[in-house]
Amino acid sequence: MTEVTELSWEAMSPQMRAMIGYEPNGSFDVEHPQALFLDMLKTPIVRWEGGIAFFGMSEIVEAGRNPDITSVNPATGNGMGMGSREPLIPLHLDGEVHKRYRKLIDPLLAPKRMAALEPDVRKLADELIDGFIGDGHVELHDAFCVPLPCIMFLRLFGMPMEDLDFLIACKDGVLKNEGATFEEHEELAWLAGDRLRERLALRLAERRRSGEVHDDLIGAFMSFELDGERLNDAEIVNLMHMFTIAGLDTVTSSLSVILGWLALHEEERHRILADPSLLNPAIEEIMRWESPVPQGGTRWAKVDTEVAGVPIKAGELILLCWATANLDPAAFDDPLTVDIGREPNRHIAFAAGLHRCLGSHLARAELRAAVDQFHRRVGDYRVTDGETVDWALHGVREAKRLPLTFTPA
Amino acid sequence: MLIHIDEAICSGHGRCYDVAPDLFEPGDDGRGFVRCAEVPAHLEGVARLAAASCPEGAIGIDS
Repeated sequence: MTEVTELSWEAMSPQMRAMIGYEPNGSFDVEHPQALFLDMLKTPIVRWEGGIAFFGMSEIVEAGRNPDITSVNPATGNGMGMGSREPLIPLHLDGEVHKRYRKLIDPLLAPKRMAALEPDVRKLADELIDGFIGDGHVELHDAFCVPLPCIMFLRLFGMPMEDLDFLIACKDGVLKNEGATFEEHEELAWLAGDRLRERLALRLAERRRSGEVHDDLIGAFMSFELDGERLNDAEIVNLMHMFTIAGLDTVTSSLSVILGWLALHEEERHRILADPSLLNPAIEEIMRWESPVPQGGTRWAKVDTEVAGVPIKAGELILLCWATANLDPAAFDDPLTVDIGREPNRHIAFAAGLHRCLGSHLARAELRAAVDQFHRRVGDYRVTDGETVDWALHGVREAKRLPLTFTPA
Repeated sequence: MLIHIDEAICSGHGRCYDVAPDLFEPGDDGRGFVRCAEVPAHLEGVARLAAASCPEGAIGIDS
């Protein structure tokens, strides 16, 4: 049995409280969180008053595939952190029901379909770059990292572009709420989720009235059948809620940390510009290094179970930290070196196990095309003299302010 | 050298067909499938790389 470190909440480092208890203490609003994550790896299994946290790769991969670990709190019958008053499909489901929904949804976001989006991503990237390339400087987070994935997502999803600001506001209301306590956050998140669902239900009702069939995700949800029955509107809105929260935030944050890292590392950027075959492994490596989604949300043991030989009681909260696993020396040679050609790279920035990120193939397709197109148009970018990149962690890590200078064209 | 994917463990990360497209291909749901179970000698290194790249450790190799 692996050694378990018993630690009270009060005795934990601020960074551990921020990571496993969402304490909004700013510990991770730094350029180099890796040192903090590495520190947590010294105690790979921590048990506190509130639950048990795993930081090492092998334990986390084992826990990720354990069917007795669920994302629904057995005490409340609901998950947490997504602004939903009911379990979300498929995130909070488990067992056979989860499998059946994933079987319906996975093909919508499969690699071959996502590869077909590449020309659209490049075209949209070009349009956004056209907006600032003549200036020689840009705040890239707001000018590129936010609009590109959000617009791609709305098109794929089938929501009107005019809803973008409203959806982003709802998503921020679910995930951010700076300064709120843990309990306040959940209540605020629910209220934001209620506003979101009202709009989603309205758009779905418009679809139903129009009778038009659209080739987009909402259209696909409307045609889904389980046991010969179409999904009802409540189930479709539930799925739309899930997709909005998961889809609007994560590629933005990933794109911002990748371009932020490259802006600060000229030598590696030049290597990629000289040899574009390095781009995909470089993106994988920066995803490993930055872990834009650092942990896997709240999970619970449905029944008495064990992970890495450690017994876990039914109802106990379980926290899995992808970011520490991605720096685990047992899984990576020289984990504190960013090697843009790293082989092999078995990172779990897109989670692991039964709930592997549903949108990972979409994310990779967008990140690869967007970064490559940015490099073709704006190769010589760097952080603007006298300015700094602002890093933040609010559920996801991002370079929330990314001031760049480049040769105008 | 023979390769196989443990379907009970594969969760569709897609690293195998990314790093070894000659040996694996994506299915309609994003999970990997073995294209070529009997690995040609010149691809044995790539097969080992694919196995080591799988976050779930779902790829088995019999030499």
